[in-house]
Amino acid sequence: MHESAKKEMKWIYEEIVGRIPPFSMLSYQYSILLQLFFLLVIGLILGFIFNLGTISLLYGSLAILVAVSWSLLILQLGPTLRKFRAPLSKDENELLEQYKGILFHRNHYEAIPGLAIFITFMLYLFYYGPNLLESWLGKNPHILLLLFVSLLIWDICYRMGLGLWTSVLALWRSLRLKKLSEKRTELEHTPYTELRSLRRLDINNAFFGIISLLLIPLLQTDRLLVTIIFTFMVFVTLISAVSAYIVSKVPWLPPDIYNLVNESSFAYIGVSFKGVTHVTPVVYVFDGQEIFFNTSKESKKLKIMQKNNKVAFLIDKRDMSNIYENKAVMFTGVVKIYGLRDVPLQLKQMLEVRKLFIKKYPEYTRKYSTSELPRAWQLTPIIARILVEVKPAKIIYWRGAKQISVPV
Amino acid sequence: MIFPDEMRNILYGNYFGYVCTSDRHDQPHLTPVFFVYDEHSRKIFFITNDRSKKVRNISENPNVSITIDIRDPVNPFNNEGVMAQGKARITEKAPIYFMSEETLQLYYDIYMEFKSKYQQVIENKPLGENDVIVQINIEKMVYWRGPHFKSVRIDAEGKII
Repeated sequence: MHESAKKEMKWIYEEIVGRIPPFSMLSYQYSILLQLFFLLVIGLILGFIFNLGTISLLYGSLAILVAVSWSLLILQLGPTLRKFRAPLSKDENELLEQYKGILFHRNHYEAIPGLAIFITFMLYLFYYGPNLLESWLGKNPHILLLLFVSLLIWDICYRMGLGLWTSVLALWRSLRLKKLSEKRTELEHTPYTELRSLRRLDINNAFFGIISLLLIPLLQTDRLLVTIIFTFMVFVTLISAVSAYIVSKVPWLPPDIYNLVNESSFAYIGVSFKGVTHVTPVVYVFDGQEIFFNTSKESKKLKIMQKNNKVAFLIDKRDMSNIYENKAVMFTGVVKIYGLRDVPLQLKQMLEVRKLFIKKYPEYTRKYSTSELPRAWQLTPIIARILVEVKPAKIIYWRGAKQISVPV
Repeated sequence: MIFPDEMRNILYGNYFGYVCTSDRHDQPHLTPVFFVYDEHSRKIFFITNDRSKKVRNISENPNVSITIDIRDPVNPFNNEGVMAQGKARITEKAPIYFMSEETLQLYYDIYMEFKSKYQQVIENKPLGENDVIVQINIEKMVYWRGPHFKSVRIDAEGKII
C-alpha cells in the first residue's frame, strides 16, 4: 500500500472525530473518554430540563457505555494494522493488503451494515415498535430528546455494523491466511508479532460481541429485539473466536526453519549471569508453535535462568561432508520456567509436552526413568525435571555460510 | 600439566564448537564455529568475522563459554562433551606490515592447524580480509558423559586443579 493510502486507513467515525477539536488534540483513548463525558453531560442536562425519570437516565448512560466500549475495542484495528509489517511471503502480503483495503475502503463500505441496521431499527421503533420509546422517554417526548436518542441509536447501530463487518472480514482473512501458509516455501512467513496482533484484534472482537448483552435491559420489553441482540452476540463472539483460533494455528516460522526445528534432535542453550556465560546441549520438543526443553532441577543453567531469563537457543543440522548443507537457527529471547504454581492452569499443556517428549525420545524417557540415576536426573515431571519454554524475540538463521536475520 | 584424557579426546576429536558470548545487558548469543585446540597454551582458537555479533559481544564482555560434544539421539548415556569457560581475546587486526612477529606467527600456526583439521572444508581458502582469530583462555572446564560430571579449574599459576 502506498504511503498516502496508509494514512487513510480510517473509518468515517475516526476521520470525523480526528478533525474536530478538542478530540483532534487528544490521543484516541482520551478522546473516547471525553466523548463519553460529553454525551453523558448532554444527556443529563436534557434529562433534567425535560424531567425524565431515573430509569431513563440509567438507560441512556448504559447505551453510552456500550457505544464507548465498542469504540475503544474497534478503534484499535486501525492503529494496529497501520503498524503492521509486511509478511515475507508475496501471497500473504497481498492477502493482508486486500484485507486492509476492504476494511478501510475509500467508499466506506463499513458504514453500510450499520446504516442498514439503523434504518431498519428506526422504522421498527416508530411504526411497529410497541411502547419502547415510551418506556425510555415517557409519553410525547420533546423533539430534542428524540434527536438525542436518535443520535445514540445511530452510535450503537453504526458500531454494531462495524462489529459484523470486522468479524466476518477477520474470519475470511484467517481462513485465507491459514490456507496460504500451507503453500509457503523456504523463508516465506508472516512474523510472529503480526500474527499475535491479529489474534489480539480477534479476541477484542469476541469481547465486542459479549458487550452487546448490556443492551438487553434497554430492550427487555421486546422479545424480538432481545433475541436479535442475543443472536448478534453469539454470531460476533463465535466468528471472532474461530478466527482467533485459526490465526493461532498459522505457523510463525518459515518452512525452512520450521522443518529444521521439527526434525532436529538436539539444541544448545546459552545463558549468562553477571557476564559469565554457560552453554550446554539439551533435548527439546516443538509442538508447531512453541519450543520446550527439559532441565534438571539441580542444573547450573536453571539456577542462572532463574536470575536472568534471557537466553540464546540454537538448533542445527551439521554435516562435515558438505558445509553448504549445514543449517542452524538461533533464537534469542527469554524463557518461561514452569513450576508447581503453573499446574492448575497449564496442566494440559504440560502433559501434552510430556507426551511429545516421550514420543520424540522414547529411549531417553525410558532411561531417565530408571532409579539407578541420580535423583535430579530422573524424569519425575515438575519435581526433578523442570519444563522450560523458549519465547523468542529474534531469529538468526544460517544456511551454508550465509547468515539471514528473520523477523519475528 | 595437561587436561584429563577424556577432555582432550573430546577437544581433539570433534569439528563443531558452540560459542556463547553475551553483551553488556547479559543477553546471550550462540553460534556454531570451527575451532582448534592448542595443548601447549591450553587455548581454544576460532576464526570469525570482525563484524560479527560475537566479536562485538567479546569487546563488551570477554567472558565466553564453548561447548564441544558428541550427541547420541537414542541413548543419553552416550552423550559426552565438554564446556570450557574463559576469557576471549581478539587478535588485533592490522595490515600485515604492521603486525608483530608474534601475531604473524600465531596467524600462520593457527591457519595451518585449521587447514589440516578442516582440510576437506576450507581447502585452500585463505583467511578473509575481515577474519580475526579469537583465542579463549580456558579457566574452567566441565566434562560429562551421561549423568556423570567432572570439572577442572586452572589456578592463577596455570596449574590444573
